[in-house]
Amino acid sequence: MSREAILARVRAALEGRADVAHPTTFESWGRETQADPVEDFALLFAAAGGEVVRLETVAEARAWLADFRAAFVGVVVGQTVPDGLDLGLAVQRALPEEAALGISLARGAIAETGSLILDARDGRRVQLLPPTHVVLLARSTMHRTMADAFEAVSGDLGSAIGLHSGPSKSADIGQILVKGVHGPGRVVALIVEEELA
Amino acid sequence: MQARSRDYRIRAREILSGAPEVRDAVTRATRTFDTHRVGAFEQIDAERWRAWAEAVKSHLLMNLDDYLVEAEARLQENGAVVHWAERSSDVHEILGRIVEAEGVERVVKGKSMLSEELGVNDFLESGNVRVSETDLGEYVIQLLGEPPSHIVGPAIHRSVDDIRRLFHEELGTSLDADPDTLASAARDALRADFLAADMGITGGNFLVAETGTLALIENEGNIRISTSAPRIHVALVGIEKLLPRLSDLAGFLQLTSRAATGQPVGNFVSLIHGPRRGDEVDGPEQVHVILVDNGRTELLADEHAWEALRCVRCGACLNICPVFRQTGGHPYGWAYSGPIGSVLAPGLLGLEASDPLPFASSLCGACSEVCPVRIPIHELLLTWRERMVRNGSAGPFEKTAMRAFRALSARPGLFARAGRALGVVPDGLARRLPVLGAWSAVRAPLRPSPKSFRALWREGIE
Amino acid sequence: MRVGASTGPLARLPAGRHLGAMRAALFVTCLGDQFFAEACADAVRLLRHLGVEVDFPEAQSCCGQPAYNSGHAAEAERMARRTVEVFRESDYVVVPSGSCAGMLRSGYPRILEDEGEGPAALAKKTFELSEFIVDVLGVRDLGRGLEGRTVAYHHGCHALRELGVRDQPVTLLREAGAEVVVWEAAEECCGFGGLFSVKQPEVSVAMADRKLDTLPAVDCVTSADGGCLMQLAGRAENRAIGGPFRHLAHLLWEATGAGA
Repeated sequence: MSREAILARVRAALEGRADVAHPTTFESWGRETQADPVEDFALLFAAAGGEVVRLETVAEARAWLADFRAAFVGVVVGQTVPDGLDLGLAVQRALPEEAALGISLARGAIAETGSLILDARDGRRVQLLPPTHVVLLARSTMHRTMADAFEAVSGDLGSAIGLHSGPSKSADIGQILVKGVHGPGRVVALIVEEELA
Repeated sequence: MQARSRDYRIRAREILSGAPEVRDAVTRATRTFDTHRVGAFEQIDAERWRAWAEAVKSHLLMNLDDYLVEAEARLQENGAVVHWAERSSDVHEILGRIVEAEGVERVVKGKSMLSEELGVNDFLESGNVRVSETDLGEYVIQLLGEPPSHIVGPAIHRSVDDIRRLFHEELGTSLDADPDTLASAARDALRADFLAADMGITGGNFLVAETGTLALIENEGNIRISTSAPRIHVALVGIEKLLPRLSDLAGFLQLTSRAATGQPVGNFVSLIHGPRRGDEVDGPEQVHVILVDNGRTELLADEHAWEALRCVRCGACLNICPVFRQTGGHPYGWAYSGPIGSVLAPGLLGLEASDPLPFASSLCGACSEVCPVRIPIHELLLTWRERMVRNGSAGPFEKTAMRAFRALSARPGLFARAGRALGVVPDGLARRLPVLGAWSAVRAPLRPSPKSFRALWREGIE
Repeated sequence: MRVGASTGPLARLPAGRHLGAMRAALFVTCLGDQFFAEACADAVRLLRHLGVEVDFPEAQSCCGQPAYNSGHAAEAERMARRTVEVFRESDYVVVPSGSCAGMLRSGYPRILEDEGEGPAALAKKTFELSEFIVDVLGVRDLGRGLEGRTVAYHHGCHALRELGVRDQPVTLLREAGAEVVVWEAAEECCGFGGLFSVKQPEVSVAMADRKLDTLPAVDCVTSADGGCLMQLAGRAENRAIGGPFRHLAHLLWEATGAGA
């Protein structure tokens, strides 16, 4: 069997070799950060081509979403987006492959890389297929580093996690940047100070 | 994939004389990549990150058997199916079984160099499975029928005009379409493929033993969709791609992105643990991970060259390499090109099939300086050169000449007179001689000083 | 190594002052001997001008790098062993070539692993010419002999990456009044690479062309490495462009104004 053959060859290869110790845990040495991790996140997410909207309350978020989604024909909403945002009522529902706008809830975010943490339980297609993607994020779920974020989610990794740090982009055609190649070409991180659930 | 590395010089010459625009395109693209890397490394204590990453990968490799078993157990607990493949024929067989059992007719692929190494597309197409490369650069070269020219940017050797003409013929876009229009046409064509595909095939940047996390980095979202939309996901993972812990992944995702494209992290990262669960609305019903050896265990057993297995395929050494910049990756004749390709090839393909790749370098050492996992690339090139020469690569002329040179060097007077003799070889004759001929075919003839230093010293230097 | 012969105290001594105690052997290298003989003679004049007693052990020949870099380990090893012997008694070994200095400093300890103290001792006392002047003699100001000249400096790969010589030559040129121009490809390989230049001549000259095509208009191009200069000059002459190309040792001697 291939398994045994490969493991036997690995063991034979390592016979008598000096071990190398695992070094210290990664700590992002030398990376300078702002006092407020949300500032870091916003800078990086915008630099990567994303948009950031910061709001205080759930009520404001509800109003902002109602206004924003009006411009889109066909909206799909992720499974974990809280009912309190009233998206179910007024939204013209569509399949992810046909919707112009997808709305998701992030499990959290990572300041040092400007990444939103998206869980498969929210629905994968809603996060990927519509050309515009709005992601709701409660400020309390912002992690300073990727290592912190991984530690926080490690107890419940689910079947898949996506880290989204900006829009879909490519420079494969003559090094010229184009957005929205396969995934969303426009992505908005909607950061709310209040808890969302 | 049939390696064509032995033709390196011929193919390099063909590109330089027959397609000079390739040199311009590759130089421009690699310099841009490298400028971004430099900026991204300046924002961190890059030396500390590199030393850390080197130690993690070396630790992983020196304990690879334990970590492979651990990764397999976690993946299985998560509901993924784990396969082991000793060589490309095993991979073909595993894929063939899945294709047949599941009635797979259409496959979408995320960019995977391992898939190139294993000849996966040819195999699937020979079984009448329709395969669509979905990375924009890979899509371009699939339409052209070419192999990738670069690990990260497969189509960097092609200009916008090349792609305009190609898409005009294949997708009906206009001959003056801008890149946005071209990308949009590719998006439309591939969106249909994503939704119709039965299976998505990807590589894997990392596989975390502690959690069974398969990690993939990209910017387009095509890998996210390839692993989300089709009902089956198959990941091809070289056994050296493991990482011990989830906390290690936090460092490697960032370091690899910074080294490859200068980003804090790629715009999309997929962390995959297994198939969709009962309460999920979408996602693959099956996730298969194929752990691939294909020569890696032999390289691991090599007490010098094993360090090449730390490679994370960021392409930083290609981007900085002045040799690679002249031609792109095609002359290397294999999935992995540039400096890292030339140190992996002898290990994975053997000495004869990979000759002269280790010699296709001026040994400038820039590659070793930028490698995020500190592979001593130019020293390994030397190691392979020595082995190739021992294996008879040099040929009788070079061997004799080298021996004579060494013997002469032991007799400085004679050595100096031999050097003087170079000065009296007429240009016409020099052009026909080995070494001198190769020199003066493309350069002005050598012009020795009127008197050697030795002579000046004896006369007395005022 | 001679006690007290380090950077500190000597830095305060004016150029041209005879120090008496400082002795260095010149390793001219194959290319220096045959193709850059006048530049090596200038290196002798320069070192003497700086108060160094220069020795030229006539038993020297090739450092073995051509064999080493092309995979002929056995030949390289014998040439290396020989070179260690030739310079065993020298206090310092000064090399007007970054590449050959790099061979002595990083190549020898690797190929002569089991040869005792000799290779390590040689590695410690070996310096490229500009490195020796700045780091060992502690001299930065050679004179103002290059006033008003525009110079492009090519960083040879081995000087740059094996020896870490980046600022020393440029400092000496600037202090002497030269304008060292910005050259985007200054730190890129010229494509010489020893036998690489004749084994892969097409790629090799494409690399030289990249250097030449980005070269600003200057009074001269210089480098610590003769091999690189042969490559660049040979290609430039073939294309009837660029230049002139002059060895760093020439310019540094001119910098003193003493030869004029």
